[in-house]
Parts: sequence; C-alpha cells; structure tokens
Amino acid sequence: MIWIGDVLVSEGEGGVYKERMLGGARVWDPYRSKLSALYHVGTGVELTPGMRVLYLGAANGTTVSHVADYVEVVYAVEFAPRPMQDLIEVSRRRKNIIPIMADASRPEYYAPLVEAVDLLYQDVAQPDQAAIALRNCAFLKSGGFLILMLKTRSVDVRKEPAEVFQDTLDAITTAGLIVQESVWLTPYHHDHAAIVCTKQT
Amino acid sequence: MQSYWFGDVDNERCSPFKGDVNSHVDRIRSISASMDTFIPLDWMQSVLCGICRDRADYIARLQAVCIAASERSIKEHYSGKDAELLQMVRTLDEIDTVINLLSERVADWYITRHPMFSRKYRRTPAHILIKSVREKSRGALGRVAGEIDNLSDTRTVLAKEVSARANEVMPNTSALIGGLVAARLLSQAGGLLELSRLPASAIQVLGARTALFAHIKTKSPSPKHGVIFQHRRVHNAPKGVRGKVARVLAGKLAIAARLDYFRGVAVPEFLNPAQERIDASGKVKES
Repeated sequence: MIWIGDVLVSEGEGGVYKERMLGGARVWDPYRSKLSALYHVGTGVELTPGMRVLYLGAANGTTVSHVADYVEVVYAVEFAPRPMQDLIEVSRRRKNIIPIMADASRPEYYAPLVEAVDLLYQDVAQPDQAAIALRNCAFLKSGGFLILMLKTRSVDVRKEPAEVFQDTLDAITTAGLIVQESVWLTPYHHDHAAIVCTKQT
Repeated sequence: MQSYWFGDVDNERCSPFKGDVNSHVDRIRSISASMDTFIPLDWMQSVLCGICRDRADYIARLQAVCIAASERSIKEHYSGKDAELLQMVRTLDEIDTVINLLSERVADWYITRHPMFSRKYRRTPAHILIKSVREKSRGALGRVAGEIDNLSDTRTVLAKEVSARANEVMPNTSALIGGLVAARLLSQAGGLLELSRLPASAIQVLGARTALFAHIKTKSPSPKHGVIFQHRRVHNAPKGVRGKVARVLAGKLAIAARLDYFRGVAVPEFLNPAQERIDASGKVKES
C-alpha cells in the first residue's frame, strides 16, 4: 500500500468522485471507503500489481477505482441499476475494471465471466452476508484472501452488533476459512466490522 | 462441459463462440454454471480457442462484452411501465414537503411584517393565505408566495397524472385503494415486481417503518397500517375495526398486486367480491 505520511493514496487517473490529489496520487478517504478504513485501523491485505480481485457490491465504483489502481484486474459485481450507471462510466475510463450487473447471491449467472481470483472483497449489506461470501468462495484460489465488510445493522437490527459479529465469525470458521483479522471500523464507520480470512491451501 | 463467455470447454477441447459484441451479450445472459461442478475459467483457454491474442486482449474483449451487457440490463430495467410512475409519485411527495415547508416559512415572515396578524379563529386554509400574501406583499416575499402558488398548480397536474398512470400500470390495486395510494405503495416497495412479492402483512405496514422497528426493538404496540391509512376505507372506518379493515384490505391488495404484475388488466371476478369483503369488514356488528 502507498502511504504519504499517514494518508493512504493510490496511483491512477483522478477526478473519479472529486477526490483530493496529493503529490499526483489519489487520496483514498477512510470516511468514504470501508476498505480504506480497514487499512487505517488494521492490517488488511496488501494489494499487489498482479492480483485478480472479485468485488461484490461495487456500488458507484468509488472504492473499486482505488482497488483497480493497485491490482491487475477487478471483476465488479453490482445489482442496482442506478449505481451501475456510474460504475460503467468508471469502467470505460479504466482498462482493468470488468463491470457485471448481477445478484451477488446468485454466482452461477456470472460464473462464466469470472476467473479464479486472489482476493474476494465483499460489501453487500445483506442479511445473509456470510452465506453470500461463502458461495462466492468457489472463485477464490487456495491461499487467497476474503475481506468481508459486515454491516451489522443490515444483518439484523434487533441483535446487538457484537452478537452479529460473533455469529458471522462462527459461520466463516465452520465453513473452513481461517480468520486472520477482525476489527471494528470505528471511528470511520459505526456498527461496521471488517473480517479478513484466508482459504486453506 | 463448462460454458464460458468465449466458448465451451470440454476436457481441453474448446469450441469458440463466434460473433460480435451483441451476440456475446445474448450468450452470457443465457448461460449459467452449476456451482457444484463449476471450474473457474482459465483465460489461457481463450487463447488456445483462438479468440484472444494475449492477456491484454482478453481483458479488453471481456470488458467490452460486460459493459454492453450491463448497459442492456439497465435499459431493460428502466423500460418497465412502473419505472416512471415511481419517479412521478416520489416527486409528488417531495413537492408536498416543499410546499408545506415554504408555506410555514412565508407565514412566519408575513407575521413579522404584520405584527398584529394572527391565524387564530380564522378559517383560512394555507393556500388562501399564501394567495393573499402574494397579492399584498412587495419584493421577495410576494415572489416566494407566488412560487408556492405555482408549485401547487404543478402538484395538482402531477397528482392527476400519477393517478391516471397508476390506473394503467396497476389496475387492480388502484381499483381497491385509488391510484394515488396505489402509487405510494409501489414507491415504498420499490417496483411492481417487488410489491407483488410482498406478503399481505408487509403491505399492511408499508410506510410505517419507524413504528414497525420501534415495535420489533421495544415492546411498543405494532403498527396497524402504513400508507394504506390514507385511503378513506381505513381512516373513515370506526376506530375499533380500523385494524381489521387494514388487515383485510392488505390481504386483497397482495392478491391485486400479483394480478397487476402477471396479468396487467383489471379482473372483475376478483375485484367485485373483494370490494364487498372489504366493505363488510368495516361494519361494526350490532349487538
């Protein structure tokens, strides 16, 4: 990861969402992007130029554009048409973003498009987040990483965030993934947690 | 055999799919994989297939196909008859909010110019007050009042259009609860397909989100009605049976929404008995 002082940046063409530029690089704001917040509060996964990434819940392509600055190719899956229009616009300007309009909980429909990836990043804010991530692990190379952004309020509003967090960790461990890191994203995002795991070799 | 976007692969043998971007889009929308036996694709196969020269070429071709496919999906999504109605009814509700907000402000402003003015004991509705402010006031105040007046006219036109469009897009639901409220249900659900998939119990409290979550999280009583309260059948019903009317009405609305989605025309065999049943539920039994 590229840091200028304590500011996380990525190197690429700016102006995607009026982001600030610093020394010719794009500032990656932890308040806007949960992945950037993870790098600020924890370790995360080092993004390298050769990586292939499957990104579920790509939304407007804000975080996607930063990830694409670091890696070889990003397969960006998004279901809602309104943010998809923005995502297509971002993809047109970058050679390494493949936009896919599909439901992340139905990987069988985009499987013919996606290759095996080194990193599976998931930020979908759905009640069955963990199940969706596990279903998509079919695309993950062994030894690859899964980063799961858990919006505890979307899983179950009635439960305490900590309880949802623990349930998700249990579900992931039961499925055979090894949890490397699990952190809350405070103060950048409230009631959000990040879980980093690896697929066993 | 595994089907990928560039062709079909069977034990190292690859039959490439030949065609332009559009036919590739048709292809990727029609194929799917079985996740149990799925083997992630290897881009090298597309080179062996004779589709691509190298990695850069592979990514460029795939991106072109995926962008075209996404564009087509978006276009289809917006071509549904309910897509525009959704925007219309949301605009209508937002205009209402703006009119109320500005009217309050203009009334306060007017009072500071006329300290002796009070609305107590007067039966002046807000829109009449705004009209007189418009005529009596100089400068910006008069103009703002004028804008509110114009906005109210626009609102009237829009409300008629919403109602007419709702009758067309969702004839059964509109027949039961009126075009405007039907359109609001549609807006809350997010679309006709989404509305038709909702259970009656959810339709009953659609638009009462705060009350519903307060009920789920604490011990407060459950909401009896959401936007369906706006229909006279519910708000004119005697207080004791209002919840019952809302429940029966929501039950029939759930059926009506499905008829609207799957048939798209009014179904009298359903509507007539449904209307009777809802009316009957509003009668208080004489004891």
